Amino acid sequence: MTETRIACPDKLNQDTGRSLLDEVRSGTIAQGGVVVLDLSPTESVDSRGGAWLVEIADYVHSQKSEFRVEGQQGLVAEFIDLIQPGLAERPERAQVKMGFFEGVGDEALGFIGELRQARRLLVEAIYWTLLGPFQGRGFRWANWTDEVYEMGVKAIRITFMMNFLLGLIISMLSAAQIEPFGLGIYVADLLVIAFARELAAVMTAVVVSARTGAAIAAELATMQVQEEIDALRSMGLNVSQFLVAPKILALVVCMPCLTALGMIAGILGGSIWGIFVLDITPDVWFHETLQSAHVKDVVQGLLKAVFFAVTIVLVGCHNGFRVRGGSRGVGLMTTRAVVADIFCIIVIDMIFALVFYYLMPAKL
Amino acid sequence: MTINGNGMTAVNGETLIEVDQLVTHYGEKLVLDDVSLTVRRGEILVILGGSGCGKSTLLKHMIGLLKPTSGSIRYSGVDITAMEEDELSRLQRGMGVAFQSGGLFNSMTVGENVALPLREYGNVDEELIEPIVRLKLSMVGLSAAQHMLPSELSGGMLKRAGLARALALDPPAVFFDEPSAGLDPIMASGLDELILSMRKLLGLTFIIVTHELESIRKVADRAIMLDLGKVVFTGTVAEAEASAVPRVRQFFERRADEFIAQRNV
Ligand SMILES: Nc1ncnc2c1ncn2[C@@H]1O[C@H](COP(=O)(O)OP(=O)(O)O)[C@@H](O)[C@H]1O
Ligand SMILES: [Mg+2]
Repeated sequence: MTETRIACPDKLNQDTGRSLLDEVRSGTIAQGGVVVLDLSPTESVDSRGGAWLVEIADYVHSQKSEFRVEGQQGLVAEFIDLIQPGLAERPERAQVKMGFFEGVGDEALGFIGELRQARRLLVEAIYWTLLGPFQGRGFRWANWTDEVYEMGVKAIRITFMMNFLLGLIISMLSAAQIEPFGLGIYVADLLVIAFARELAAVMTAVVVSARTGAAIAAELATMQVQEEIDALRSMGLNVSQFLVAPKILALVVCMPCLTALGMIAGILGGSIWGIFVLDITPDVWFHETLQSAHVKDVVQGLLKAVFFAVTIVLVGCHNGFRVRGGSRGVGLMTTRAVVADIFCIIVIDMIFALVFYYLMPAKL
Repeated sequence: MTINGNGMTAVNGETLIEVDQLVTHYGEKLVLDDVSLTVRRGEILVILGGSGCGKSTLLKHMIGLLKPTSGSIRYSGVDITAMEEDELSRLQRGMGVAFQSGGLFNSMTVGENVALPLREYGNVDEELIEPIVRLKLSMVGLSAAQHMLPSELSGGMLKRAGLARALALDPPAVFFDEPSAGLDPIMASGLDELILSMRKLLGLTFIIVTHELESIRKVADRAIMLDLGKVVFTGTVAEAEASAVPRVRQFFERRADEFIAQRNV
């Protein structure tokens, strides 16, 4: 075995360490040889110098050679003892690389696993939502009222604003199309049908998923990360019963109310344009509005709101429970929840649109 | 023969930090009441006291994270409570802080966490960053965890990783909040050894919050004890053990008399 001995400088620091590394690199090291650093001349090492020793050891190991230090005394020896693990050979980091098909398969399996988890949550949550309030114990009414205040009452202003402005915009756009034919008054009908069936429900759901959906996901994810969920489980409490059901019950009550408010706000917003720009007298405008308002349209909107409510809570909870890692995971899952919320809302909306298209088509 | 972190000459015994008549509130609540203490260069000072007596709060004031209601905190004569933001952050680079729960950034691996202060303002050779990180991690016994995420570590590992990050820049003063809480006895004792070697080899000053008796006896040069926001004792550990102050006696004898009555005020 060939041995290469290299003497160290008397002060090992940032600069002398670098030249030492250069010296080791320039000397040819025989494969399977030994490199010995002779520390007997060294009187002081600082931590930067120690870092260079780590780098030198690493280089020597990368040349398939052995690395040793010898001759250290006193404090230098103590220092070397302290950093010894850094001078030892590092195991290669295993890089697991997946092939393309393996990757696709892995994704698919992950997705199926997630669906299975989601189905379980859905079943449990619905079970506890239907049973929860009627069981004497376990349902926390105080908690429910808090949730209603947080999810519903606090969302009133923003919901009103968004729908009001949307109504104004719709009114503006559609008036530009039909006003030239002298049919401006029909904008009132259009507004009622659009907001009752579609826009109020969707707009409100988007607002609520950004507020409440994100909040639910972040809250549950944080609870998961801080072992609060584990604590609940260990007390024998059912997570769906304790955390999910009150939220579903609260939002199922809030969403239709907010949506109804959204309908009114949208129609009011539209009427501003009708009355002040199209110059239709309020009497005529609101008469037309009431004429075109049908219970079935309103019911359709409110029914959708209930489905949206359940979806938003479940998607939020599902993503919250799936969190991995700490604060970063919480952020990722919150984003994922809101994106999934909005996607689900549009899909559900489309299904409703199809069903109602064939069952009871909208007519002016 | 000298071995220093970052080439500093340690003049042991000289006053490094001086806290004078510190009073501080959280809202209306008085948390620290007229706290004064000095930290000398190269010493290990422990801050003792029961849970909730304001130890962490004192530490956060000493590193300039919180502003006191009144009083001053001087580093080599300069008051940090009156400092501008950028002047303060320049000073803070000379402090290493290991937080109670680690305070590691979750989105980075342990190694990247340690590398962060080096990258940001270490004026370190890019080539040297990786070996420094490995050096610090091997000092705290975490070589294997370099590429792991903080969420994959246990509580004790998080603490040691936090210490490795605090030591990254070889700061002259290291603040350590409850280093051994939640560690097994072997690990806790290993950490004490580590603190002692660091002080000896790198000439660092440690300000440590703890209530582990074993650890206090092993590492502390001096101790200061807080109770309900007031300093009830300052002196060496031997003096503390012999002290007649009831609260201090109670602490060192691990008695819980009047525990309930006292803590429910
Ligand atoms: N951010 C905060 N806001 C209000 N009160 C706080 C805050 N942090 C701590 N406290 C209170 O200040 C007191 C001291 O806290 P702390 O310094 O964390 O105690 P410890 O000695 O256990 O580290 C405690 O009574 C605690 O309730
Ligand atoms: Mg504390």
